[in-house]
Amino acid sequence: MSHDGHHSVVIPAPGPEFVPHTVAHHFDTPVQEFQSAKLGFWLFLATEILLFGGLFAAYFYYHEMYPETFRLGGQQLDWKLGAINTTVLLLSSWTMAMGVRSAQTSQKQKTMVFCGLTVLGAIGFMVIKFFEYKAKNEHGLVVFSELFGQYDTATGSLPWFKDYVGVMAGVPHGHLFFAIYLTMTAIHGLHVVIGAGLILWIMKGTAKGRFHSGYFLPVDLVGLYWHLVDLIWIFLFPLLYLVP
Amino acid sequence: MSAHDHSHGDHGELQMGHHHISSSAMFLNVLLTLLVLTGVTVGASRIDFGAANMLIAMAIASVKASLVIAFFMHVKWDTAINKIVFLSSFLFLSLLFLFTLADHATRRMDGEINVTRTPVQFQWTQPAPQPHGN
Repeated sequence: MSHDGHHSVVIPAPGPEFVPHTVAHHFDTPVQEFQSAKLGFWLFLATEILLFGGLFAAYFYYHEMYPETFRLGGQQLDWKLGAINTTVLLLSSWTMAMGVRSAQTSQKQKTMVFCGLTVLGAIGFMVIKFFEYKAKNEHGLVVFSELFGQYDTATGSLPWFKDYVGVMAGVPHGHLFFAIYLTMTAIHGLHVVIGAGLILWIMKGTAKGRFHSGYFLPVDLVGLYWHLVDLIWIFLFPLLYLVP
Repeated sequence: MSAHDHSHGDHGELQMGHHHISSSAMFLNVLLTLLVLTGVTVGASRIDFGAANMLIAMAIASVKASLVIAFFMHVKWDTAINKIVFLSSFLFLSLLFLFTLADHATRRMDGEINVTRTPVQFQWTQPAPQPHGN
Protein backbone atom coordinates (compact mmCIF):
# COMPACT_ATOMS: atom_id res chain seq x y z
CA MET A 1 0.00 0.00 0.00
CA SER A 2 1.39 3.37 -0.96
CA HIS A 3 1.40 6.44 1.23
CA ASP A 4 -1.82 7.91 -0.22
CA GLY A 5 -3.89 4.99 0.90
CA HIS A 6 -4.27 3.41 -2.53
CA HIS A 7 -2.52 0.23 -3.33
CA SER A 8 -1.49 -0.23 -6.93
CA VAL A 9 -3.35 -2.94 -8.79
CA VAL A 10 -1.06 -5.40 -10.50
CA ILE A 11 -2.15 -7.90 -13.10
CA PRO A 12 0.13 -10.91 -12.71
CA ALA A 13 2.11 -12.25 -15.66
CA PRO A 14 0.80 -15.60 -16.95
CA GLY A 15 4.31 -16.99 -17.31
CA PRO A 16 8.01 -16.29 -16.79
CA GLU A 17 8.41 -14.83 -20.29
CA PHE A 18 5.84 -12.11 -19.48
CA VAL A 19 5.91 -9.11 -17.18
CA PRO A 20 3.05 -8.10 -14.85
CA HIS A 21 0.98 -5.01 -15.68
CA THR A 22 0.50 -2.29 -13.10
CA VAL A 23 -2.83 -0.51 -13.55
CA ALA A 24 -2.39 3.27 -13.87
CA HIS A 25 -2.91 4.90 -10.44
CA HIS A 26 -5.94 6.93 -11.55
CA PHE A 27 -7.96 3.77 -12.20
CA ASP A 28 -9.51 1.65 -9.48
CA THR A 29 -9.72 -1.60 -11.41
CA PRO A 30 -8.20 -3.18 -14.52
CA VAL A 31 -11.69 -3.33 -16.02
CA GLN A 32 -12.11 0.41 -15.52
CA GLU A 33 -8.74 1.05 -17.14
CA PHE A 34 -9.60 -1.13 -20.10
CA GLN A 35 -13.10 0.28 -20.66
CA SER A 36 -11.98 3.91 -20.30
CA ALA A 37 -9.17 3.51 -22.81
CA LYS A 38 -11.38 1.63 -25.20
CA LEU A 39 -14.22 4.17 -25.05
CA GLY A 40 -11.68 6.95 -25.65
CA PHE A 41 -10.27 5.12 -28.63
CA TRP A 42 -13.71 4.52 -30.16
CA LEU A 43 -14.35 8.27 -29.83
CA PHE A 44 -11.08 8.94 -31.65
CA LEU A 45 -12.04 6.47 -34.39
CA ALA A 46 -15.41 8.25 -34.71
CA THR A 47 -13.52 11.50 -35.43
CA GLU A 48 -11.45 9.63 -38.00
CA ILE A 49 -14.65 8.53 -39.74
CA LEU A 50 -15.79 12.15 -39.82
CA LEU A 51 -12.40 13.35 -41.11
CA PHE A 52 -12.58 11.00 -44.08
CA GLY A 53 -16.33 11.60 -44.29
CA GLY A 54 -15.73 15.23 -45.29
CA LEU A 55 -13.49 14.05 -48.11
CA PHE A 56 -16.04 11.46 -49.21
CA ALA A 57 -18.71 14.19 -49.24
CA ALA A 58 -16.46 16.26 -51.53
CA TYR A 59 -16.01 13.22 -53.76
CA PHE A 60 -19.74 12.57 -54.04
CA TYR A 61 -20.54 16.24 -54.70
CA TYR A 62 -18.03 16.66 -57.52
CA HIS A 63 -18.77 13.20 -58.88
CA GLU A 64 -22.40 14.28 -59.27
CA MET A 65 -21.30 17.53 -60.92
CA TYR A 66 -18.71 16.12 -63.32
CA PRO A 67 -19.39 12.40 -63.79
CA GLU A 68 -17.40 12.33 -67.06
CA THR A 69 -14.35 13.88 -65.40
CA PHE A 70 -14.45 11.26 -62.67
CA ARG A 71 -15.04 8.39 -65.08
CA LEU A 72 -12.10 9.44 -67.27
CA GLY A 73 -9.94 10.21 -64.23
CA GLY A 74 -10.60 6.79 -62.77
CA GLN A 75 -9.52 5.19 -66.04
CA GLN A 76 -6.08 6.80 -65.62
CA LEU A 77 -5.56 4.73 -62.47
CA ASP A 78 -4.50 1.09 -62.73
CA TRP A 79 -7.41 -0.84 -61.20
CA LYS A 80 -5.26 -3.98 -61.01
CA LEU A 81 -2.81 -2.23 -58.68
CA GLY A 82 -5.80 -0.95 -56.70
CA ALA A 83 -7.20 -4.49 -56.44
CA ILE A 84 -3.79 -5.86 -55.37
CA ASN A 85 -3.55 -3.17 -52.69
CA THR A 86 -7.09 -3.97 -51.54
CA THR A 87 -6.07 -7.62 -51.17
CA VAL A 88 -2.87 -6.64 -49.35
CA LEU A 89 -4.83 -4.52 -46.86
CA LEU A 90 -7.49 -7.20 -46.32
CA LEU A 91 -4.78 -9.80 -45.66
CA SER A 92 -3.00 -7.43 -43.29
CA SER A 93 -6.27 -6.76 -41.48
CA TRP A 94 -6.60 -10.51 -41.00
CA THR A 95 -3.00 -10.89 -39.74
CA MET A 96 -3.65 -8.00 -37.33
CA ALA A 97 -6.83 -9.66 -36.02
CA MET A 98 -4.83 -12.86 -35.54
CA GLY A 99 -2.05 -10.87 -33.83
CA VAL A 100 -4.53 -9.43 -31.33
CA ARG A 101 -5.95 -12.91 -30.76
CA SER A 102 -2.44 -14.28 -30.17
CA ALA A 103 -1.79 -11.57 -27.59
CA GLN A 104 -5.12 -12.34 -25.90
CA THR A 105 -4.07 -15.99 -25.59
CA SER A 106 -0.49 -15.21 -24.43
CA GLN A 107 1.14 -16.60 -27.58
CA LYS A 108 4.19 -14.35 -27.81
CA GLN A 109 5.81 -15.87 -30.89
CA LYS A 110 2.59 -15.88 -32.87
CA THR A 111 1.90 -12.25 -31.91
CA MET A 112 5.33 -11.29 -33.22
CA VAL A 113 4.84 -13.21 -36.50
CA PHE A 114 1.34 -11.85 -37.18
CA CYS A 115 2.32 -8.27 -36.32
CA GLY A 116 5.45 -8.62 -38.47
CA LEU A 117 3.33 -9.81 -41.41
CA THR A 118 0.99 -6.83 -40.91
CA VAL A 119 3.94 -4.42 -41.10
CA LEU A 120 5.09 -6.19 -44.28
CA GLY A 121 1.59 -5.63 -45.68
CA ALA A 122 1.84 -1.93 -44.83
CA ILE A 123 5.23 -1.70 -46.56
CA GLY A 124 3.90 -3.58 -49.60
CA PHE A 125 0.92 -1.25 -49.81
CA MET A 126 3.11 1.87 -49.68
CA VAL A 127 5.56 0.49 -52.27
CA ILE A 128 2.70 -0.09 -54.73
CA LYS A 129 1.29 3.34 -53.89
CA PHE A 130 4.73 4.87 -54.57
CA PHE A 131 4.82 3.41 -58.08
CA GLU A 132 1.27 4.60 -58.71
CA TYR A 133 2.16 8.14 -57.63
CA LYS A 134 5.33 7.95 -59.76
CA ALA A 135 3.26 7.19 -62.87
CA LYS A 136 0.87 10.06 -62.11
CA ASN A 137 3.87 12.34 -61.67
CA GLU A 138 5.32 11.28 -65.03
CA HIS A 139 2.05 11.93 -66.84
CA GLY A 140 1.75 15.32 -65.18
CA LEU A 141 -1.56 14.42 -63.57
CA VAL A 142 -0.08 15.08 -60.14
CA VAL A 143 3.26 16.91 -60.39
CA PHE A 144 4.60 16.37 -56.88
CA SER A 145 7.38 18.97 -57.10
CA GLU A 146 4.77 21.61 -57.93
CA LEU A 147 2.17 20.70 -55.31
CA PHE A 148 2.81 23.93 -53.42
CA GLY A 149 3.74 25.90 -56.54
CA GLN A 150 2.40 29.32 -57.38
CA TYR A 151 -1.05 29.44 -58.96
CA ASP A 152 -0.92 31.28 -62.29
CA THR A 153 -3.59 33.95 -62.00
CA ALA A 154 -3.09 35.07 -65.62
CA THR A 155 -3.76 31.70 -67.28
CA GLY A 156 -5.63 30.09 -64.40
CA SER A 157 -3.54 26.95 -64.79
CA LEU A 158 -2.59 24.87 -61.77
CA PRO A 159 1.14 24.28 -61.31
CA TRP A 160 0.68 20.66 -60.24
CA PHE A 161 -1.72 19.62 -63.03
CA LYS A 162 0.03 19.59 -66.42
CA ASP A 163 -1.61 16.58 -68.13
CA TYR A 164 1.30 16.17 -70.60
CA VAL A 165 -0.52 13.58 -72.74
CA GLY A 166 -3.80 15.49 -72.67
CA VAL A 167 -5.86 12.54 -71.44
CA MET A 168 -8.20 14.82 -69.53
CA ALA A 169 -8.46 17.44 -72.27
CA GLY A 170 -12.01 16.53 -73.28
CA VAL A 171 -13.64 16.91 -69.86
CA PRO A 172 -14.21 19.94 -67.64
CA HIS A 173 -11.97 20.52 -64.63
CA GLY A 174 -9.80 17.43 -65.13
CA HIS A 175 -7.66 18.37 -62.15
CA LEU A 176 -10.61 17.88 -59.75
CA PHE A 177 -10.47 14.10 -59.83
CA PHE A 178 -6.73 14.06 -59.20
CA ALA A 179 -6.96 16.63 -56.40
CA ILE A 180 -9.47 14.39 -54.63
CA TYR A 181 -7.53 11.23 -55.51
CA LEU A 182 -4.30 12.63 -54.07
CA THR A 183 -5.86 14.13 -50.95
CA MET A 184 -7.77 10.99 -50.04
CA THR A 185 -5.01 8.48 -50.79
CA ALA A 186 -2.28 10.62 -49.21
CA ILE A 187 -4.20 11.04 -45.94
CA HIS A 188 -5.02 7.34 -46.05
CA GLY A 189 -1.34 6.55 -46.78
CA LEU A 190 -0.31 8.68 -43.80
CA HIS A 191 -2.56 6.47 -41.67
CA VAL A 192 -0.89 3.37 -43.14
CA VAL A 193 2.55 4.71 -42.17
CA ILE A 194 1.42 5.72 -38.66
CA GLY A 195 -0.29 2.33 -38.25
CA ALA A 196 2.87 0.48 -39.26
CA GLY A 197 4.85 2.53 -36.72
CA LEU A 198 2.33 1.68 -33.99
CA ILE A 199 2.48 -2.02 -34.85
CA LEU A 200 6.30 -1.92 -34.61
CA TRP A 201 5.86 -0.37 -31.16
CA ILE A 202 3.49 -3.21 -30.25
CA MET A 203 6.13 -5.72 -31.42
CA LYS A 204 8.70 -4.04 -29.17
CA GLY A 205 6.37 -4.39 -26.17
CA THR A 206 5.50 -7.96 -27.14
CA ALA A 207 9.20 -8.87 -27.26
CA LYS A 208 9.52 -7.52 -23.73
CA GLY A 209 6.57 -9.67 -22.66
CA ARG A 210 4.33 -6.73 -21.79
CA PHE A 211 1.23 -8.12 -23.53
CA HIS A 212 -0.53 -11.30 -22.47
CA SER A 213 -3.94 -12.71 -21.56
CA GLY A 214 -4.04 -10.41 -18.52
CA TYR A 215 -3.15 -7.21 -20.38
CA PHE A 216 -3.44 -6.71 -24.13
CA LEU A 217 -5.10 -3.27 -24.26
CA PRO A 218 -2.49 -1.51 -26.50
CA VAL A 219 -2.51 -4.43 -28.96
CA ASP A 220 -6.30 -4.27 -29.10
CA LEU A 221 -6.35 -0.50 -29.76
CA VAL A 222 -3.62 -0.54 -32.41
CA GLY A 223 -5.53 -3.40 -34.04
CA LEU A 224 -8.66 -1.24 -34.18
CA TYR A 225 -6.66 1.57 -35.79
CA TRP A 226 -5.31 -0.79 -38.42
CA HIS A 227 -8.79 -2.13 -39.23
CA LEU A 228 -9.99 1.46 -39.71
CA VAL A 229 -7.26 1.96 -42.33
CA ASP A 230 -8.64 -1.11 -44.10
CA LEU A 231 -12.21 0.15 -43.67
CA ILE A 232 -11.47 3.45 -45.43
CA TRP A 233 -9.71 1.70 -48.31
CA ILE A 234 -12.70 -0.60 -48.86
CA PHE A 235 -14.58 2.53 -49.99
CA LEU A 236 -11.65 4.27 -51.70
CA PHE A 237 -10.96 1.35 -54.04
CA PRO A 238 -14.30 1.28 -55.92
CA LEU A 239 -14.72 5.06 -55.80
CA LEU A 240 -11.29 5.96 -57.19
CA TYR A 241 -10.27 2.99 -59.34
CA LEU A 242 -13.60 1.73 -60.64
CA VAL A 243 -15.49 5.08 -60.57
CA PRO A 244 -19.16 4.04 -60.65
CA MET B 1 -6.76 -5.21 2.84
CA SER B 2 -7.51 -1.80 1.46
CA ALA B 3 -10.88 -0.25 0.79
CA HIS B 4 -10.39 -1.27 -2.83
CA ASP B 5 -10.53 -4.97 -2.60
CA HIS B 6 -9.48 -6.56 -5.86
CA SER B 7 -8.77 -10.02 -4.60
CA HIS B 8 -12.12 -11.62 -5.18
CA GLY B 9 -10.53 -14.91 -5.93
CA ASP B 10 -11.99 -14.61 -9.40
CA HIS B 11 -8.94 -14.35 -11.60
CA GLY B 12 -10.95 -12.63 -14.33
CA GLU B 13 -11.55 -9.64 -12.06
CA LEU B 14 -7.81 -9.17 -11.71
CA GLN B 15 -7.52 -8.96 -15.44
CA MET B 16 -9.21 -6.57 -17.83
CA GLY B 17 -12.58 -8.24 -17.55
CA HIS B 18 -14.06 -10.99 -19.60
CA HIS B 19 -13.40 -10.82 -23.31
CA HIS B 20 -14.72 -12.70 -26.23
CA ILE B 21 -11.82 -14.26 -28.05
CA SER B 22 -12.76 -15.12 -31.60
CA SER B 23 -11.76 -18.39 -33.17
CA SER B 24 -9.14 -18.49 -35.91
CA ALA B 25 -11.61 -20.25 -38.18
CA MET B 26 -14.06 -17.36 -37.88
CA PHE B 27 -11.36 -14.82 -38.80
CA LEU B 28 -10.37 -16.92 -41.81
CA ASN B 29 -14.00 -17.13 -42.97
CA VAL B 30 -14.34 -13.35 -42.71
CA LEU B 31 -11.12 -12.86 -44.68
CA LEU B 32 -12.23 -15.23 -47.45
CA THR B 33 -15.64 -13.52 -47.66
CA LEU B 34 -13.93 -10.12 -47.93
CA LEU B 35 -11.67 -11.36 -50.73
CA VAL B 36 -14.63 -12.83 -52.62
CA LEU B 37 -16.53 -9.55 -52.21
CA THR B 38 -13.51 -7.68 -53.63
CA GLY B 39 -13.90 -9.84 -56.73
CA VAL B 40 -17.62 -9.01 -56.75
CA THR B 41 -16.73 -5.29 -56.55
CA VAL B 42 -14.54 -5.55 -59.66
CA GLY B 43 -17.09 -7.74 -61.46
CA ALA B 44 -19.99 -5.40 -60.72
CA SER B 45 -18.00 -2.43 -62.06
CA ARG B 46 -17.85 -4.19 -65.47
CA ILE B 47 -21.63 -4.22 -65.77
CA ASP B 48 -23.47 -1.00 -66.48
CA PHE B 49 -26.44 -0.67 -64.18
CA GLY B 50 -26.89 2.94 -65.21
CA ALA B 51 -27.89 5.24 -62.38
CA ALA B 52 -27.66 2.33 -59.91
CA ASN B 53 -23.87 1.90 -60.48
CA MET B 54 -22.91 4.02 -57.49
CA LEU B 55 -25.57 2.50 -55.27
CA ILE B 56 -24.45 -1.05 -56.08
CA ALA B 57 -20.74 -0.29 -55.59
CA MET B 58 -21.44 1.38 -52.24
CA ALA B 59 -23.75 -1.45 -51.14
CA ILE B 60 -21.00 -4.04 -51.72
CA ALA B 61 -18.44 -1.82 -49.93
CA SER B 62 -20.86 -1.39 -47.03
CA VAL B 63 -21.25 -5.15 -46.64
CA LYS B 64 -17.44 -5.48 -46.58
CA ALA B 65 -17.15 -2.63 -44.08
CA SER B 66 -19.80 -4.21 -41.85
CA LEU B 67 -17.83 -7.48 -41.78
CA VAL B 68 -14.62 -5.64 -40.81
CA ILE B 69 -16.43 -3.65 -38.10
CA ALA B 70 -18.44 -6.55 -36.64
CA PHE B 71 -15.75 -9.24 -36.66
CA PHE B 72 -12.22 -7.85 -37.14
CA MET B 73 -12.99 -4.84 -34.91
CA HIS B 74 -15.01 -7.03 -32.54
CA VAL B 75 -17.87 -4.55 -32.34
CA LYS B 76 -20.33 -7.44 -32.29
CA TRP B 77 -19.08 -8.35 -28.79
CA ASP B 78 -18.24 -4.85 -27.57
CA THR B 79 -20.13 -2.94 -24.88
CA ALA B 80 -23.29 -1.01 -25.73
CA ILE B 81 -21.65 2.39 -25.13
CA ASN B 82 -18.76 1.59 -27.49
CA LYS B 83 -21.20 0.42 -30.15
CA ILE B 84 -23.24 3.61 -29.81
CA VAL B 85 -20.15 5.86 -29.94
CA PHE B 86 -18.67 4.29 -33.05
CA LEU B 87 -21.82 3.51 -35.00
CA SER B 88 -23.28 6.99 -34.31
CA SER B 89 -20.40 8.45 -36.36
CA PHE B 90 -22.01 6.83 -39.39
CA LEU B 91 -25.32 8.43 -38.47
CA PHE B 92 -23.69 11.87 -38.44
CA LEU B 93 -21.89 11.00 -41.66
CA SER B 94 -25.23 10.26 -43.32
CA LEU B 95 -26.45 13.71 -42.25
CA LEU B 96 -23.37 15.26 -43.88
CA PHE B 97 -24.00 13.34 -47.11
CA LEU B 98 -27.73 14.02 -47.02
CA PHE B 99 -27.43 17.81 -46.80
CA THR B 100 -24.47 17.98 -49.19
CA LEU B 101 -26.33 16.04 -51.86
CA ALA B 102 -29.57 17.88 -51.10
CA ASP B 103 -27.71 21.08 -51.92
CA HIS B 104 -26.59 19.60 -55.20
CA ALA B 105 -30.02 18.28 -56.07
CA THR B 106 -31.81 21.56 -55.39
CA ARG B 107 -29.23 23.89 -56.92
CA ARG B 108 -30.21 25.53 -60.17
CA MET B 109 -27.76 24.45 -62.83
CA ASP B 110 -27.47 25.90 -66.32
CA GLY B 111 -25.64 24.79 -69.40
CA GLU B 112 -23.60 21.69 -70.11
CA ILE B 113 -20.97 22.60 -67.55
CA ASN B 114 -23.30 22.92 -64.65
CA VAL B 115 -20.95 24.83 -62.36
CA THR B 116 -22.14 28.08 -63.92
CA ARG B 117 -25.00 29.41 -61.95
CA THR B 118 -26.84 32.05 -63.91
CA PRO B 119 -28.60 34.46 -61.62
CA VAL B 120 -32.32 34.49 -62.15
CA GLN B 121 -33.41 37.83 -63.62
CA PHE B 122 -36.29 39.47 -61.87
CA GLN B 123 -38.11 42.30 -63.50
CA TRP B 124 -39.79 44.24 -60.81
CA THR B 125 -42.66 46.34 -61.99
CA GLN B 126 -44.56 48.95 -60.15
CA PRO B 127 -47.94 47.48 -59.36
CA ALA B 128 -50.78 49.47 -60.75
CA PRO B 129 -52.33 51.65 -58.09
CA GLN B 130 -55.40 50.02 -56.72
CA PRO B 131 -58.45 52.16 -56.87
CA HIS B 132 -59.55 53.04 -53.42
CA GLY B 133 -62.82 51.86 -52.28
CA ASN B 134 -65.75 54.19 -52.52
